[in-house]
Amino acid sequence: MDHFPTNWGRPRNDAFDAYGTYPIQQRPNNIKDNFNGVQRTQQPIVTGTSVLAIKYKDGIMMAADNLASYGSLARFKDVQRLHAVGNHTVLGASGDMSDFQYIQSLLDDLIIEEFTEQDEHTLGPAEIHEYLSQLMYGRRSKLNPLWNSLLVGGYKDGKRFLAYVDLLGTTYSASTIATGYGSYIAQPLLRKAVEGREDTLTEREAQAILEESLLVLFYRDARSLDKYQIAKVTESGVSISESMALRTSWSFAEGIRGYGAQTQ
Amino acid sequence: MTSIGTGYDLSASTYSPDGRIFQVEYASKAVDNSGTTIGLRVKDGIVLAVEKLVHSKLLVPGASNRRIQTIDKHIGLATAGYLADGRHLANRARSEASNFREFYHSPPQVKDVTERLGQYVQVYTLYSSVRPFGVSTILGGVDKTGPNLYVVEPSGVFFGYHGAAVGKGRQLAKAELEKLKLAELSTREAVFEVARIIHLVHEDNKEKEFELEMSWIGAETQGIFLPVPKDLHQEAEEKAKAALDNFE
Amino acid sequence: MPQTRSFDPYTENGGTILAIAGQDFSVIAGDTRQSEGYSIQTRYAPKVFRLTDRAVLAVNGFAADGNMFVKKVKQRLEWYRHAHAKDMPLRAIARLIQTMLYAKRFFPYYVYNILGGIEEDGTGAVYSFDPVGSYEREACRAAGAAQSLVQPFLDNQIYFKNQVPAPGTTHPAYLSLPDVLSIVIDSFTSATERHIEVGDGLEIYIVFAKTRDLQDFETIRAKNVHLIQELTVAEDGERIFVLRRDLKKD
Repeated sequence: MDHFPTNWGRPRNDAFDAYGTYPIQQRPNNIKDNFNGVQRTQQPIVTGTSVLAIKYKDGIMMAADNLASYGSLARFKDVQRLHAVGNHTVLGASGDMSDFQYIQSLLDDLIIEEFTEQDEHTLGPAEIHEYLSQLMYGRRSKLNPLWNSLLVGGYKDGKRFLAYVDLLGTTYSASTIATGYGSYIAQPLLRKAVEGREDTLTEREAQAILEESLLVLFYRDARSLDKYQIAKVTESGVSISESMALRTSWSFAEGIRGYGAQTQ
Repeated sequence: MTSIGTGYDLSASTYSPDGRIFQVEYASKAVDNSGTTIGLRVKDGIVLAVEKLVHSKLLVPGASNRRIQTIDKHIGLATAGYLADGRHLANRARSEASNFREFYHSPPQVKDVTERLGQYVQVYTLYSSVRPFGVSTILGGVDKTGPNLYVVEPSGVFFGYHGAAVGKGRQLAKAELEKLKLAELSTREAVFEVARIIHLVHEDNKEKEFELEMSWIGAETQGIFLPVPKDLHQEAEEKAKAALDNFE
Repeated sequence: MPQTRSFDPYTENGGTILAIAGQDFSVIAGDTRQSEGYSIQTRYAPKVFRLTDRAVLAVNGFAADGNMFVKKVKQRLEWYRHAHAKDMPLRAIARLIQTMLYAKRFFPYYVYNILGGIEEDGTGAVYSFDPVGSYEREACRAAGAAQSLVQPFLDNQIYFKNQVPAPGTTHPAYLSLPDVLSIVIDSFTSATERHIEVGDGLEIYIVFAKTRDLQDFETIRAKNVHLIQELTVAEDGERIFVLRRDLKKD
């Protein structure tokens, strides 16, 4: 039996979603005769868009909006994509949200396991990032990836940490990082604002830089939302803000001429 | 020890004619030889304390063999009896707690872990090929129902308590616990009481040195099970010693 | 007709690496840019790694595979140290790398390796590998995004290909350290100019045989004190240095 509801009583392909905006259409049809063995994530289903993060004077700051999309449908509009891992680390996720939830539960278990040791050691951002790198690379090597781009930020023992890992196990660190569309649209803005100023940027300035980038992304990325959260990790630990709203302005639309029904 | 030589005490899988399982009773004897362990359930939290007898002057103080162990963020456990059995049960309790979290995606109540641990201990009273655990385990924690305290005995039975004491000095400790108004005590006050009681029961065992080990959970620890901080530990121990001097 | 798109477990992360062997030294270099497509991911991701006091490995291709491969090679070298109380000789490391690469012949590490260092006989050496473990010892090798730009230049400058010696003279058998360093730096500045995936930073590892007189190097070192760092661990053995320079960031 095919347990995927979207395969039950589907319309003819040519009569249905001709533009392929619906992600399920790309999913391979589970033909019963040749389907056997394990199921693998071959494409993301419910997805989160960009995550942005920068280093600043007191630590690191990370931002992500609250949207989880189902293809082009804005399906869940109150989803948190930033997750505290212990007291020194924050994790931000774009990509498949169910894979992200699985990763969250792994990390929560890991943190408790370490806590019960009571050995006066705690996992810092570098250790969490290494763990995730091994996890992501291990899964890609089984051809069963966790479909995410993850940012790991943190502050421990007077050191800032900011690094990336994705579904291929690719890793890197830099003083500004953005995932997804953010890597095209926000990253240049972040680099211009941050590079060389990591040790002087104040919390207020850092937040303004991220909010400006989120705003630009919201204007251009059709899978983004004007509701977002910001996390910071400093000497005093992790804090993730309540949801906030971007202040958008659409008055410029009045001045656009020359498209559609507009004639003058 | 009328049972000795009758042959009914060689295996946990055989009852004696009057319906007893001697191996389980012997396991309880192992517990009675051990340093006293106390657990308090008070208004807003739990305190666990252990009289850790120091069997050699060569041991480094505080460096090894903790007898209070952490099971989950909000649950701890203290044992009396065989230390290694205690560690084994703590590991089992940890994996039960973690398994519960994975299955239900929510933190276990103290009772959930206790029930599973009780079942595990009980199984070791059924077979001739195994030996029952030589420990009584005090489990304590704060969950959504509030503070909870349980004792799991070598037979596998468990009961919930307001105050519990196991090990050598349990009689005197229980008598002292009954005098306290546990439902009105704050966790901080309980730390002082528990330190006093451990020092008091140690009076009967004075030839041996001991270390006081204490952990707590409550509003002051934000619902996290932690060792009592050094300064409070020291203050409580000083007060306990002073109280003893006045007593004499 | 159902559409199928299967997961591709590989990507290319750009960059270029290069190594040149001298008579009694070896130079191993790589740029520090990591990219995917047209995006620069970071300006500093090392591709060249010290393995022992006389072996340096440069790894280029799919960065995740590269990092994992280096991690596993280092682990095998540590086990060797525990078993034999000495570092593995260079030619043995080279064979080890072949074995490890070929072990994944049917799901390869998508990386090109260049191993440089000093042999047991005190000569400078370079070994180059393909992703599944074919390898040979050479005097020089470039690999990665700008291989096609750099290798012909090395053929000309190191092997003197298409050069005719002046009448009555021959080409030198070995190049001096200053000459080699100049060629390395020119290779990377040129590759940076013409290849978008090369740039940001340059790391040059230099390994010297025990016996070598470091006078020529000390003059270079004195001029670039802030750029050169010594990584040698053992006393009176081979010595190993790293020279870091900027490359254009555009």
